Parts: sequence; C-alpha cells; structure tokens
Amino acid sequence: MEKIFCDIRKCLGCKSCEIACGVEHSTSKNIFKSIREEKKPRQRVIVRSTTKEPFPLRCHHCEEAPCIEACMSGAMYKDEKGVTRHDPDKCVGCWMCIMVCPFGAISRQESLALKCDLCPDREDSFACVEACPTKALFAGTWDEFKKRLGQEKR
Amino acid sequence: MHYVIVGGSASGINAIEAIRSLDKEGKISLISDEEFSLYSRCLITYFLAGKLTEDKLKYRSSDFYEKQKVEALHGIKAKKVLPEKRKLLLDNGRELAYDRLLIATGASPKMVEVPGSDKEGILGLRTYQDAQLINERLDKVNTVSILGGGLIGLRAAYSLHARNKQVKVIVKSNQVLSQMLDSGAANFIRRKIEQKGIQVMTGLAAVEFLGGKEVSGLVLDDGRKLECELVIVGKGVRPNLELVKGTEIKTDYGIIVDDYLQTNFPNIYAAGDVAQGKDLISGQSTINALWPCAVAQGRVAGLNMAGKKLKYDGSMAMNSVEFFGLPVISMGITRPKDKEYEQLVREDEKNFVYKKVVLRKNRVQGMILVNKIEQAGVMGILMRKKVDVSSIKEMLLEDKFDFAKILPIIKEGKELFTEREFEESTISY
Amino acid sequence: MKKQDKSIDKASQELLEIAEREGIDTAWERYEAMVPQCGFGELGLCCRNCLLGPCRIDPFEEGPQKGVCGATPEIIAARNLTRMIAAGASAHSDHGRDVAHTLLLAAQGKTEGYGIKDEDKLLSLANELGIKTNRRDKKEIAKEVAEKVFSEFGQQHGELQFSHRAPEKRQALWRKLGIMPRGIDREIVEVMHRTSIGVDNDPENLITHGMKTALGDGWGGSMIATELSDVLFGTPRPIRAKVNLGVLKEDEVNLVVHGHEPTLSDVIVTASQDKELIELAKKNGAKGINLAGICCTANEILMRHGIPIAGNFLQQELAITTGAVDLMLVDVQCVMPGLSSVARCFHTKIVSTSPKAKFPGAEHVEFNEEEALPIAKKIVRMAVENFKNRMKEKVNIPKVKMDLVAGFTAESVFKFLGGRYRATYRPLNDAIINGRLRGAAAIVGCNNPKIKQDWGHVEMAKELIKNDVLVVVTGCSAIANAKAGLLKPEAAFQYAGKGLQEICQAVGVPPVLHVGSCVDNSRILITLCNVVNEGGLGEDISELPVAGAAPEWMSEKAVAIAFYVVASGVFTVLGNPFPILGSREVTELLTRRLTEVVGANFAFESDPIKAAQLMIDHINKKREALKLKPVMYEKEEVLVK
Ligand SMILES: Cc1cc2nc3c(=O)[nH]c(=O)nc-3n(C[C@H](O)[C@H](O)[C@H](O)COP(=O)(O)OP(=O)(O)OC[C@H]3O[C@@H](n4cnc5c(N)ncnc54)[C@H](O)[C@@H]3O)c2cc1C
Ligand code: SF4
Ligand code: SF4
Repeated sequence: MEKIFCDIRKCLGCKSCEIACGVEHSTSKNIFKSIREEKKPRQRVIVRSTTKEPFPLRCHHCEEAPCIEACMSGAMYKDEKGVTRHDPDKCVGCWMCIMVCPFGAISRQESLALKCDLCPDREDSFACVEACPTKALFAGTWDEFKKRLGQEKR
Repeated sequence: MHYVIVGGSASGINAIEAIRSLDKEGKISLISDEEFSLYSRCLITYFLAGKLTEDKLKYRSSDFYEKQKVEALHGIKAKKVLPEKRKLLLDNGRELAYDRLLIATGASPKMVEVPGSDKEGILGLRTYQDAQLINERLDKVNTVSILGGGLIGLRAAYSLHARNKQVKVIVKSNQVLSQMLDSGAANFIRRKIEQKGIQVMTGLAAVEFLGGKEVSGLVLDDGRKLECELVIVGKGVRPNLELVKGTEIKTDYGIIVDDYLQTNFPNIYAAGDVAQGKDLISGQSTINALWPCAVAQGRVAGLNMAGKKLKYDGSMAMNSVEFFGLPVISMGITRPKDKEYEQLVREDEKNFVYKKVVLRKNRVQGMILVNKIEQAGVMGILMRKKVDVSSIKEMLLEDKFDFAKILPIIKEGKELFTEREFEESTISY
Repeated sequence: MKKQDKSIDKASQELLEIAEREGIDTAWERYEAMVPQCGFGELGLCCRNCLLGPCRIDPFEEGPQKGVCGATPEIIAARNLTRMIAAGASAHSDHGRDVAHTLLLAAQGKTEGYGIKDEDKLLSLANELGIKTNRRDKKEIAKEVAEKVFSEFGQQHGELQFSHRAPEKRQALWRKLGIMPRGIDREIVEVMHRTSIGVDNDPENLITHGMKTALGDGWGGSMIATELSDVLFGTPRPIRAKVNLGVLKEDEVNLVVHGHEPTLSDVIVTASQDKELIELAKKNGAKGINLAGICCTANEILMRHGIPIAGNFLQQELAITTGAVDLMLVDVQCVMPGLSSVARCFHTKIVSTSPKAKFPGAEHVEFNEEEALPIAKKIVRMAVENFKNRMKEKVNIPKVKMDLVAGFTAESVFKFLGGRYRATYRPLNDAIINGRLRGAAAIVGCNNPKIKQDWGHVEMAKELIKNDVLVVVTGCSAIANAKAGLLKPEAAFQYAGKGLQEICQAVGVPPVLHVGSCVDNSRILITLCNVVNEGGLGEDISELPVAGAAPEWMSEKAVAIAFYVVASGVFTVLGNPFPILGSREVTELLTRRLTEVVGANFAFESDPIKAAQLMIDHINKKREALKLKPVMYEKEEVLVK
C-alpha cells in the first residue's frame, strides 16, 4: 500500500507539512483564504520532536489498525486501498481510537476524531510530501522506502 | 465445516469476519435473541440523547450477512449447549449441530433486589430495546434517578440531561467511575457534571422503590426520599451464562478460556463480555467487559476456529469517555493498593487537567488522562509491551510527551515492537 | 508549467523552450522547484530577529501562538513588513546617494565622464534648496546642491526638503501623524532598532514608522536620484525606441547593461560610440556595437538616449539564452545570482562593477566615478573581444521587438498635455473635471514567476485605458507594457476608451506613458502635486481620482514604494499580498483602517482585471466625492457593474 514515510534524519522541523496539510483540508485550498475560513482547517500531521530531532507525527495506516478495532461506532474503517479512514458522520467522539492509537496520531476536532486521510481530494500525491522542502517525507510503499534509504546510505 | 456463533454483537460479528477471511466456503450460522442487529450497544445512550438516529447505530452495512454468507437467525435464543452431542438447543425446540461453536453471549445488567423493584419504570440499559423502552416513557418523566456512577450510569445521566430531565445519580461508593478512575480524576468529572446541572449523591444506595404500578420515587439508605418517575440501573453487568449452566463447560465468574480463547472443549470457544481470560497487566483471570476487547477476542477466536493458532495477548482494562467536553481516558491499574507501585500525578485544577501514571519496577501499569488525552495510546503501547520507561519517566506527564519520545525505546526493544509500523517509523532514526 | 503559462511574451516563450531543451535553469524552474513555498513565510508568521528564535506561529491556531519573546502574529508580521520597507528604502536611497556623489565629483571636476546636462533643472533645484544662483558658476552651484542633498541623508532633525513639494494639507497630516521624515538614513536605522527584539511591539506604531521611512524614500532618496540624474544626464524627453529581445543583433557585438544606476550605463553609452572600439569590433568580424538594457538601468538610458531595451526582470536569464550576448554588465539590484550559471552554457561574460555587489562566476571590473570613461571603455572592449567566442550554432535571437515612445516626465507631461506652447496642467485637470478622462493610474513594479510574466501589467493597463483612465508606468511594468505595444501612440486607437483616445489623438501621446525607472516613481508624486496645485480637483493627493498598482511585484523596493504611495494618499492594489495575512490586525490596518489615517489603503488582488476594477471603482468614488461631471463616455458594462 502506498503511504507516507519519513526519513527522520532529513526533517528540519520547518512544519511545512503541517501548513500544507491544513491548506489541503480547507475548503478553499488556498493558504491565504484557508486561515480565515469559518471552520478552521486542521492539520493532521504535527511536527513534534524526539529529545533532539524533529519528528512529524502522523497516522501510519496500520495494517491491523487498533483504532478500527476500538472504534465502537464503525467510524474508523479501512477502505479498499488499505487506507485507515474516518467517517465523521458516524463518529460520536468517544475517543476509543485515541485510547489505542500507539502513535498518538488522532486529535480531536470538537466532537470528531481527526487524522490523516492520505489526501482523498488528490489523485496521486500527498500535500505534506509535496511540501517537504528536504524530501524527508516520502510517498510510496514500504519496500520503495526501504530501497530509497538503502540507496542513500553512504 | 459448520461454524455456529451465539450472540451477534462485537465479538460475534468480528468472529464472522475473521472466519470468512480464512474459510470462504464453510457454513456459518448466527443465533441472536435480539431482533435489531449489527448495532453498537455502546451508542444507545447517544441515541437516547437524541444525538444519533437509529440508522447511525449500525456499524456494519445491512447486507453484511449476505456478503459474509451467514445464515442469521434473529429473535431466537440458544437455551443450552450440548457439548457431547455437538449440538445447540434452541428455544424454538430445534437442535442445531455444529463443528465449531463460539459463545459470544455478552452480559446483562445487574438489577437491584429491594422492595418495589418490580415496579414499571425501573430499567436496565443494555440493548436497543431497553433504550426504546426508556424513550417511550420519557414524555411522562420529569425526574430520573440513576443507580450507579459507573460509565453506563453517567452516560445515561448525560443523555437524559440532554433531554432536559432532572437527573440525580446515586452512587454507593464515595466517587464516580470507581472502576475506571481514582478519586482525584473522578472529582474533576464530578465537578464538571455537577456544574452542568446533574446532581451526584455519593455514599448512598436505594433501599426501596415507591409508587403504585409505576415507580414514583425511592427511599435512600439514609432515610431520605427522592421523587422520580424513572429509575435506570447501572450497577454493572453479569455474563450471560444460562446456556452453559449444567454443562461440562468450565465457568467461574464467566466462561473460562485459555490464551487461544478455547474453553475446556476444543471445539467450543468463548469471547467478549462472557469470556473470562488473562488480564494483560495483572496476569490474573478476569473479564474486561469492553468493546475493543470483545472485538479483538472475537477476531482471534474466529481465526482460531478457522484453523489458525493465534495467541491472544490478554485483555486490558481501559476506557474512554467524554462529558460536557471533558474527555477522560484510563487504562490498567489506576488505584494501586500495594506499596510496590509508584504513582506520578500532575494536576491543574484551573484547566481541568489531571494526569496520572502508575508504575511498577519502571513499567507502566496504569494511567489516567483528563482533558489532555491525545497521547493515551502511546502510553498504552508502553503498557502493552511492558518496557522499562525509566529513561523517559520525567516526561510521561508532560504535555510534550508523545510517540517521538519513545523512539529510542522502540529502537532498543525491537523484539517486542514487532508490528511493522514501528519499524517503519524508526528505520531512519 | 507550460511556457504559455509562464509568460505572455512571445520572445520569452521562444527562449523558454530553448532553455528547456538545453537544460538551462531559469527563475521559473527554480520557482516550480520551490513550490509549495513556506506558508509561515508567505503569511509573515516567522521571525528570525533574535536567537530566542527562529519562531513561527501556527496560522491554524493549534500550535504556538506566540514567539519565545511573546511576540504575537501581529507583532511578527508588522516587524517583518517594516523591515522590508527599510530594505527597499535603503536600496533607492543608496542609489540616490551615488547619484549625488557623482554630481559632487562632476562639480569638482574630478571626473571627465560627467557634466551638467540640464542647467535649468540645476538652477531651479538650487532655488528650491535655498542656494544662491545669481552670477555663480554652475559648478559652484552644483557642488552646493550636491552637498545640501547629501546632508539630507544623515539629517537628524527637521524635515526633508522635497517633502515640502507635497500639498500643504498632506504636509500638515504628516506632521500631525508624526511621519514627516527627518532624515533618510535616520528613519531606516530606526526601523532596524524598533524591529529588533523587545523594542517596538505595537503593530500600528511599527507600520506608522514604516510609512515615515517610506516617505523618506519617495520624497527623499528616490526623488533625489531622479532630480540629480536629470541634472547630470539630462531631463528625459519623449523619444522613440525599440524593445524586447529582438533588439539583439546577430552581426553586432551585443553589450547588455543590467541593474539600476544610471552612472555607469550612461558612460557606457558614450564608450560604445567610441570610434576606435567600433573599428575594433569590425576587425573582430562584427558590424558594430549594439547596446541594450535590462531593468531600470535600461529605462535610464532609454529615456535619455533612446537605447533599446532587451527585456524586463524575468528576461535577464533569457537574454543570455539567446547566445548572442557577448557581455552583460551588472551593477546593483534585481540582478539574479542565477545569471552566471546560465552564462556558463554560452560564451557570455558577466561583469560585475559595483563594490557593493559581487556575483559568483562573474568577472569583477570595479567601477568608480573618477575613472568612469576609461573603465567603461575597458568593459566595452571586453565585450568586443568576446564577440569572436560566440558560438554561432547556439545563437537564437527571437524576431520579436516592438516600437515605443518613452521619456515622459512631470515636466514634459504638462508640456504635452498643455499643448506645445502653454506649459500648464490645466488641460489635464480639465479633461478629468469634464469627464473626458476618468482619472489616472500608475502601474509599477517587477516581474514575479508567481504571475504569468507581463500578464498582470498588460491586462491591467488595457482594462484601465479602455475605461478612459490615463496610465503611467515605470520600471519593469513600463517594459512589459512597451513590449505589448501599449507605449505606441497608435495603441490608443486599438485599446483606449473614447475619451482617452481623443486626448491621445489631440496631443499625440500613447495611452500609457513611460515615466521612467523605479526611482522615477517620484516623478509621479510630483505630477500629482502639480495636478493638485493646478486646482479644481481638491486640496490633497488623497482627493484625486487616481490609483496605483504593482501587479507583479517581488522586491522589497516595491514595498517601500507601495508604502510611500499610500502614505501620500493614493489607493494601491498589489498583485501578491504583503506577507502579513497571518495577522488579522495588520491585514485589517493595511486594507481598511489606513484610509482613516492617511486617506488611502491597500488592496490585494492577483487578477489584473479585477484589480483594475478595484482601481476604477476607487476612481469613481473619488470623482463622486469631488462632485465631478459623469464620465463622458461611460460604457454600459461599467454602469451595470
Ligand atoms: C450503554 C453502554 C455503553 C457502553 N460503552 C462502552 C464504552 O464506552 N467502551 C467500552 O469498551 N465498552 C462499552 N460498553 C460495553 C460494550 O458494549 C461491551 O463490552 C460489548 O458490547 C461486548 O460485546 P459482546 O459481543 O461480548 O457482547 P454483547 O454486546 O453483550 O452481545 C451479546 C449478544 O448476544 C445475545 N445473547 C445473549 N445470550 C444469548 C443467547 N442465549 N442466545 C442468543 N443470543 C444471546 C445478546 O442479546 C446480545 O445481542 C458499553 C455498553 C453499554 C450497554
Ligand atoms: S490512527 Fe493510529 S492506530 Fe489508526 S491506523 Fe493510524 S496510526 Fe494506526
Ligand atoms: S471517537 Fe469517533 S472514530 Fe474514534 S473511536 Fe469514537 S467513534 Fe470511533
């Protein structure tokens, strides 16, 4: 399955991914307009840090996703591509998913859970990956990511 | 191969999916005494509150049985298991033969046995039907007494408050949510719900119900009388064991299962609220009557029934609720009795923030998070994997604590963190 | 990006194709590689002013809302913007300072490259500055003028001399607001002080001082640059010339000057006409020496000598891509460091000349005013000698060029519009008053790959003149409009509304007037003062039916200009917003509240047609306020709107 990986060594903590994610999930998809939208767009990736390095926290679209197992409303589900999706219509804000996500990748937007949805409005790209100026974020399969890391190890 | 599943809820449905993922051909039959199916009972208080419509209670689409090729028998109760005959006796008199049986009958509310408890208007809250019954009465109700300050009691209180009823919660112990929280965290919740107009009375119990055919009030053990037209009993649940009574199937508080969710009969499995198995943290045999546990157990049982040999790690006490915008999550041991436990606590009254971590030999054994809950799952994984957290102990209660902080621990404990996602996130670290 | 989306200019499109084929990187590719650009920067929410930071504020209001020092988004955005003003003002002012320096040297007889070309202007300046002129040697006067002007830069108190040119009412307002600039440098230094950590943390106070600093540019540094350039190099007069990359010649030595200051480019003109050097060029197999310019230094020699213009800002790399430029001489401002890597693909020599501006991969021939001519000749010789290295197979000169008329000034505008014999603004004012003209607008500023090259400038100009708004242009906007043919008198018939057409026809001017380089925006200020003084259109600049715009701006200089224009009372539309939108308060101040303070505000609109509409609406409002007659040839569609 294609998803987002991060080469932590390259992340500079610029938070461009956060911004791009917020804009992608706005109505206008325009940075200047998005920050003034009535309902504030929310980013689903948050750059935090290990004790030293910056690290973008986000959903890993787990193969056996604990959040889906825990979700008591059926709001969290896997789509046919293997993406862990969230249906806001079903969500009741019980935070069972937050309780079990080992990555802390889910946040609360009022009474709805919020997490990475792998940019459903885009054909074949991810906003954060595109925005990453150091190319620390990578879009592809696990094997492709490993291959890339292999190529770059000197 | 004929799989028979009794109980079509969290465990049963997930077992069906697990079986079908391995065995596309075998016959699957489902017996459920409920007419309304494929719904999440955890949501019935939201339904009662008027926040969800009936269709939103369903967590699977209505063609589920068809797609999974399941013969679903609703409104039929399994009366008894006949292990020697490999048959199930149904309340319509039929006998149903099985090759593999899953008992996923869940639990029922414990009711109170005091004078007057047979009056109309004294109800448990477990099923959609219960919720409907309550709903139907609500027009003639001004005041509701809730017996029990547990999760279901408070959720019920919350939902009826949302319907503009006067709500009083009567709690036997001296705090709410005593299964889930310590008194520190419980006080935050109590403060919050009282602020919003739900009355909480602790250290009290109902000793008698008043009224004619219908309940009109109750008497407390301190002699006080309360008027109410509806009583909801939320005093915990007890596993539905009737169908194994008098059989060779081993029971204690629930049906005893091993690490594979098998009973003492190799072709009979049990899962969910009815199954008593290993607790991940304490190692003792217990029931954690929780939705995620029921789902996971159903899945593991199903896979094993279809031929896999998958071990279940054990269940963990945990829960998550939100009242009036104040979320709380707790896990594991929250009120240690023993001196061997170390407790880290952070309290911020003004912002309703409360955090607690319980440690034993530098391993996380339990935790409570009030209001700032986002990183609960990260603590959860530390608990599950039973890793030494001495290197990050100082950080655990801080707001900056998050997954990034445990990368070194994951890196070191590769044998424990076997899920691929952990490798993905640490490979370049 | 397709080449059609990069530029509307056919010559640019042609060369972009070649650049792509040859794998030559241009600003467009580098821009694309940079997209998406940092949102914090775009919104003005990052601060690097001290080492508590770098700090950035989360515009979605989840992450940090204050810098480490406690700075709010409003403070950070205001500080950053004010610093941009200071940087822009310093660029123009330093340019002005260099021109003053040249005048001083010329007056002292220390340089043979320069003389005093416009004595009338010298005398009138001397009068204005309170310098005696009676029976004095012009060099003496020039020296004193230069010295007096010099002192304006470092002046610590009092008021800048040229600010007294503004209408009385405007001056009074500036004094009331405390934004009458004291000294050019002083205000800039104060910006740097105020915006450093822990000093001025009131957004409005910061912006107010920013306006003061900008006024010190518009009515100080820039105006000095313009006025003294006229004295030294002659006041421009309308002149015909050609524009676009097609002016490069296959069979001649092509020397391109690029940058801003006229001091060097002007002597290069002289040097390129040197008989000996032309002989040498012929010996090297060329038919002659062809001089062309890019950016404002090009505008300077275009206006005064009719030297052709090769292109505007985004064409600097494309000029080299023609393979026909033997030498590109650069001085200061808007010179891309990317030039030398393009030059490396060809035989082109890049020669830097200013001690202030050195470039990687460029040869440095340091310029000084004392030896201006010999240095200029040396550089021309380098160009001539490099001709033989030209790789014939790599030469691709687009056959695209356009005629234009340039060189209008505050003086010549009224000479023209007033008729050849009556030097007065009366006819211009009357044309506005009786509604033949709706009003006037200035389109200025840069190119920016964020907006299709020239599209913003040209579409806006067309829309305005169609609605009988007389347009004046400077800088790269002037070049853009020239390339589009709008600086030809005939353009009036094709594009202008009926009223404007009548005027253009009567006086024989184009509907879009080239008034100079970027520092020459000061000419626009003076023109506005003259219009107010002529009477009938109110007592202050802010009452005039005029507007300004910078549809493709990118430079900090544009920020300074925009601010002195608004602080002088002119509504201004910017194609790209200032990087401040992350702050509600600063946005509100600039786009709305400023009107109550200085009588004008900003608008941000990237669509040039919509931007032009905003300007027209504004002009209409001003006409209404002045109770002017309805516009003579109001079009249906405008009325409907
Ligand atoms: C109001 C409410 C709120 C809750 N909130 C939470 C929460 O926030 N978090 C959490 O983790 N858990 C919560 N729970 C608990 C959760 O719902 C249970 O843990 C979960 O439903 C257990 O699933 P199960 O499949 O084991 O059994 P059940 O859901 O109890 O299902 C058992 C099914 O079997 C049927 N059945 C029983 N006996 C027979 C028989 N003999 N023949 C045929 N059918 C039979 C029953 O009618 C029922 O349909 C809540 C429960 C309630 C009632
Ligand atoms: S939200 Fe968390 S648990 Fe769910 S798929 Fe994403 S990372 Fe896994
Ligand atoms: S918060 Fe929403 S998505 Fe998360 S478990 Fe609850 S219902 Fe499911």
